[in-house]
Amino acid sequence: MAERAAAPWRDRLGRALRTTGRRLRARTRVLARAWRRSLRVRVSVTTVAVGLIALVTLGAALSGQVRDSLYDRRVTEVLTDAAVRAEVAQNAFDSSNVSRLQDVQQLLYDVGGSLVTTSGAEGVLLLRSPGQEGQYPEVSPDDLRRLIEDDLREQVREQDMQMWQPVGIPAAGGVEPGIAVGTAVTLPLAGEYELYFVYSLGEQQATLALLQRVLTAGAVALVALLLVMTWYLTKQVLTPVQQAANTARRLADGLLDERMTVRGVDELAVLARSFNEMAESLQEQIERLGHLSQMQQQFVSDVSHELRTPLTTIRMASEVLNAARADFGPTAARSAELLATQLDRFESLLADLLEISRFDAGAATLDVEQADIRDVVGRVVELTAPLAEQRGSQITPRVPREPVLVDMDGRRVERVLRNLLVNAVEHGEGEPIEVLVGADDRAVSVVVRDHGIGMTATEAEHVFDRFWRADPARARTLGGTGLGLAISLEDARLHGGTLEAWGSPGEGASFRLTLPRRAGIVVTSHPLALRPPRLEPDPTEHVDPAGPHALPDDFMAEVPE
Amino acid sequence: MPMNPRVLVVDDDAALSEMIGIVLQSENLEPVFCYEGTTALEAFRSHQPDLVLLDLMLPGIDGIEVCRLIRAESGVPIIMLTAKSDTTDVVSGLEAGADDYIAKPFKPKELVARIRARLRRHEEPETERLLIGDLEIDVAGHRVMRGDEVINLTPLEFDLMVALARKPWQVFSREVLLEQVWGYRHQADTRLVNVHVQRLRAKVEKDPENPEVVVTVRGVGYRAGAPPAG
Repeated sequence: MAERAAAPWRDRLGRALRTTGRRLRARTRVLARAWRRSLRVRVSVTTVAVGLIALVTLGAALSGQVRDSLYDRRVTEVLTDAAVRAEVAQNAFDSSNVSRLQDVQQLLYDVGGSLVTTSGAEGVLLLRSPGQEGQYPEVSPDDLRRLIEDDLREQVREQDMQMWQPVGIPAAGGVEPGIAVGTAVTLPLAGEYELYFVYSLGEQQATLALLQRVLTAGAVALVALLLVMTWYLTKQVLTPVQQAANTARRLADGLLDERMTVRGVDELAVLARSFNEMAESLQEQIERLGHLSQMQQQFVSDVSHELRTPLTTIRMASEVLNAARADFGPTAARSAELLATQLDRFESLLADLLEISRFDAGAATLDVEQADIRDVVGRVVELTAPLAEQRGSQITPRVPREPVLVDMDGRRVERVLRNLLVNAVEHGEGEPIEVLVGADDRAVSVVVRDHGIGMTATEAEHVFDRFWRADPARARTLGGTGLGLAISLEDARLHGGTLEAWGSPGEGASFRLTLPRRAGIVVTSHPLALRPPRLEPDPTEHVDPAGPHALPDDFMAEVPE
Repeated sequence: MPMNPRVLVVDDDAALSEMIGIVLQSENLEPVFCYEGTTALEAFRSHQPDLVLLDLMLPGIDGIEVCRLIRAESGVPIIMLTAKSDTTDVVSGLEAGADDYIAKPFKPKELVARIRARLRRHEEPETERLLIGDLEIDVAGHRVMRGDEVINLTPLEFDLMVALARKPWQVFSREVLLEQVWGYRHQADTRLVNVHVQRLRAKVEKDPENPEVVVTVRGVGYRAGAPPAG
């Protein structure tokens, strides 16, 4: 029963502890972050910590020293006083003339009273040593009697000299330190007595406390000063560093005219000057490169224009000849035909070369519009279908039912997909070809998969190289220029997307284009896997072009039939 | 027998001009030539061509300026020949008033098809009157009126208006307009439509910022503005 009743309470406590724990951890994290991220916090905390330790040590040593010296002096003073008073008392006892018990009592009170008033002691006790005959009175105030311990009494009796012991005297609001000093005296008639003086050290205590208060206040003030100083000094040093960091960031953002302000001739000014020199040299380099790139662009543009005009003439002439080839002899007719077809090839090669140089010159720009990628896929599949039919392949697009809107340059994306599909048809060996579209919130993937001759992992690494051929003996049957995939890769990159290839000899190949849904999104995952499922990874493969995201289990994800 | 349509070829490359001439003649078109920008306007005035083929890069005055000068005094169809298919060149040519462009290198068939498309006139004998926004189109008379005021349009702009006004209930995509007005489908370059709609609006809209005659339908295309009620 009790157990059960306790359970909810224990739960609550557990929860509260966990909450507190979380809060504590959160706070610790915040502090740790501040510690890691701010040099200023680190320097200030270290300085204050070291200063604090030094001050506390110093203060403790100082106040210990003062305490000891105050104590020793007081003890000497008290012992001297007690010795004098004890002698006075003994003399008074010796010279008295007593014969009765009442006289002894009277004597005790007289001497005791005079001792209290003459000495600086808090109180005086006259205790009769035990083990003697008869009943005689004592001077023994209750509050002080408790302070005299039997140890001390024994010593006083046995040593027959002045003995003392530190005691705590009850005072208003606590206990104050004191000293009890004892001496043996002899009373006429009554015999052996012990005379005790109880002295207070309250005054010394107060002095010490005052000293400690002053020291503490001084230490606090010093630490505060230290903190302010450190904060100010680090600011002095770190402000230029901060400025350098900001300037560097702005430089990195392309504001090449950004410079630091140089003030004075100290080390920080040297930093600023060196920084500015670096920025200057960077700016020169960048502008030189920019100029070169501009020249390159201009050159490409000029070549383009200069080549295209004669090419147009040649082209038209060839078409005219080709159209009239029925009138020619067989040799001339075939020549006219070859001229026409090779001009087509030359033209696409020129176009691809110019496109590549535009990428190299950084002159390629995106003409982005939001569009449904399913439309692009549909269009490309429709355009490529006749070619695929010729080769006996069938292209099956598998796209989501919902529109897949993507920020893209439709012309470029269409070109990429056309390249991939024509490539798949060319190497597809007449087997079926699938085009899969998959999307999530951030990215969209299009996978073009064929089941043709395939390629090795090494080949897959090189397919995007310019003019690369898997088998140099193999002709390009569909008239590709050898630049198609290289251009496609650049197109994908221009979108901030990726284009990857996978292949396995005899099993076919797979290409995956992944584009961010919105401009500016960084593609970190792919909605579709590059590799097909049910295939064991090739153990001889060195580089996995699919990357860690291409797990087979999500292949075909979100792709309804 | 009707006279063959005359085409003015403005290009500094003599070989290309000659080749174009051969192709045009074989298609029953009459070519006349001009080899520099500075004399282009003069040649235009003296030959009175039915169509102008204009190279964008010319010595003297460049093609874009020539285009602007011709357009200032005539609505004659102008087709630009351009070696650069870069956006800025094409768009500035279209904005200067060219109806269409063709990128080098082109095939003779392509060139002829574009020329034919521009030369083709709508031969509707019936007197058709169309309303678009607060405008009235006299199709047979090739006139667009706002009240009593006649608005001067090039034949291409006129065709664009008529295409929209004939089906005021329909939203035309840019691709459909290209096919209906420019007369070809392949290599759809929708920049042609965008630029010409802007030029048209500059002429027919009271406030081109808030178009009422040619209305944009976001994400789809354009449609005719409704005539004012009553």
